[in-house]
Amino acid sequence: MMKMLEGKTVIVTGTSRGIGHKMVEVFAKNGANVFAHARIETEEHKQFCERLAEREDVQIIPLYFDLRDADGMKEAVKIIRETKLPIDGLVNNAGIIYNALFQMTSMDELRNQFEVNFFAPFLFTQYISKLMVRNKKGSIVSISSSVAQDGNAGKSAYGASKAALLTMTLSIAEELGTYGIRANVICPGVTETDMVSTMPEYIFDIQKEATFLKKFGTTEDIANTAMYLLSDYSSYITGQVFRVDGGVTQYNKRK
Amino acid sequence: MLTGKNIVVTGCLQGIGKETLIKFAQNGANVFACAYQETDEFVELCKRLSEDNKVQIIPIYFDMMDNASIKEAAKAIQKSKMEIHGLVNIAGINRDALFNMITYQDMLDTFQVNFFAQIILSQYIVKLMQRYKTAGSIVFTSSITALDGNAGQVTYGASKAALIGAMRSMALELGPSGIRVNAVCPGFIKTPMTEKLDPNVIEKKIKTMEIPRLGEASEVADTFMYLMSDLSTHISGQVIRVDGGIR
Repeated sequence: MMKMLEGKTVIVTGTSRGIGHKMVEVFAKNGANVFAHARIETEEHKQFCERLAEREDVQIIPLYFDLRDADGMKEAVKIIRETKLPIDGLVNNAGIIYNALFQMTSMDELRNQFEVNFFAPFLFTQYISKLMVRNKKGSIVSISSSVAQDGNAGKSAYGASKAALLTMTLSIAEELGTYGIRANVICPGVTETDMVSTMPEYIFDIQKEATFLKKFGTTEDIANTAMYLLSDYSSYITGQVFRVDGGVTQYNKRK
Repeated sequence: MLTGKNIVVTGCLQGIGKETLIKFAQNGANVFACAYQETDEFVELCKRLSEDNKVQIIPIYFDMMDNASIKEAAKAIQKSKMEIHGLVNIAGINRDALFNMITYQDMLDTFQVNFFAQIILSQYIVKLMQRYKTAGSIVFTSSITALDGNAGQVTYGASKAALIGAMRSMALELGPSGIRVNAVCPGFIKTPMTEKLDPNVIEKKIKTMEIPRLGEASEVADTFMYLMSDLSTHISGQVIRVDGGIR
C-alpha cells in the first residue's frame, strides 16, 4: 500500500479517543511521525502510542497538557522543538461539545467552549506555525463543524466557537501562504463518536435522514480527509472548507 | 490509491485530463480514456500506461458535440461488462468573448460540451452504477469562474455554474443509491487552455493567490484521485476549489 505521509511529522491534538485517536492510527499507518496530544496522561494512551510506533516503525510522541493551561502548552512546544523534527503538519482537532438552549447557556460554559475550541488552538497554532515558517512549509488543518456553517438548535455556543476556529484558519491561509504554509478547514457532519452520544435519539434519526448518503460519518472518514490535506496531494489547496458530512442541505435538515 | 477501480475519464487528450489519466493508471485504476480524436501519440500513451502499470487503459473516441457518439461510447463501456466505480468529467471548451460579442452559436456549443454532453454521459454511467449497485463517485470539473466570475467568460462561467447546480441535485438524488457527486473548481492551472491568456492578466491573478503561482495540472488530478478513492467516501454534494487560495 502506498504511504501518503511517508517521512512527514505531524501534530494532532485531542487523541485520547474519537476522531483524533483514529487520526494517529491512520497517519502512523501512512508513514508519519506523530506528536499525539491528550489532556490526561493515561496508561492506555501511552501504550497505544508505544504499540503503534512499534508496529508502523514511526515515532509516536505523546504530549500531555490541558489546552486551557498556557504553561503546559509552552512545555509541550519545548518538547516538540527539542526533538528537532521539522513539523510538516498540525491538526487542531481537540474540542469539547456543549448542548444547551440559547437562553440557558451560562457565561461560564460559553467561556469554557471558547477557551478549548478557539483560544487554545489559536495560541497553539501561533507556536507551531512559527516552526513551520522557519522551514517554509507546512499544512494546518482545523476540525470545525458543519454546525459552524449551518447553525443548530442547542449549539449556539459550540457552533460559534467552531465558526471562530474556521475563520481563524482561513485568515491564516491568507497570511502564511507566501511562506509555503497551507491552511484548510474540515467541517464534519454527524460523526460516530462519543460526542455524538450526547444527542437525543429522535434527533439522531432526523440527522441521518438529512444526509444524501443516509449514513453518519466515521472517525476514519474525517481522518482520511485530514490525511489528504496534510499530504502533498493537496499542494495547491488552501483556504478551503471541506465538509465531510455525507451531503446535507438546509432544506433536508428541517423536514 | 485506486487499485481495482474502473473509472471513466473524459478529455484525456491534453491538459488536466491527460495528467489525470496518467495519475490514475499509476495508482492502479483501469481507465476508459475518452478523447475527441484518435492520435498516434494518444494511442501510444494508453498502450504504454497499460504496460507500465499493469492496468487496462481503454481509449474511447467520441465528440461531445454529438450526442449519438456519446451513446455509442456508453454502449462500448457497457459491453466491456466492467463495473464502473467512477466518472471524471473533464472535457470542456471555452469560447471567451466580451459580453456583447457573444454569438448564439458559441453559447449553444459551450453549453453542449460543458453541460448537456456531461449530463448525458453521466446518465449512462449512473445507470451502470445502479445496475451493479456500485458505490460510485462522479466528479464534474467546474471552474472558479463559475463562483467568482471573470470578464470575457460569461458563457463559459455560466455553463460551469450549471454543472454545480446539476451536481447538487444529483448528489441529493443519487445519495440513497450510494453514489457520490462532487465538483472541482480549478483556478489558474498551467494547461493549453490558459496558455492563450495574456501574461499580464496571469501576473495580476497570481497576486491574488495565497500560494502565488499557477497550479499544475497534476495538482488538480490529485484532487480527482482523492474524490475517486475511498478516502472521500463520506463526501458528497461539495464544491472543492483547487486554486491556490484566491481571495
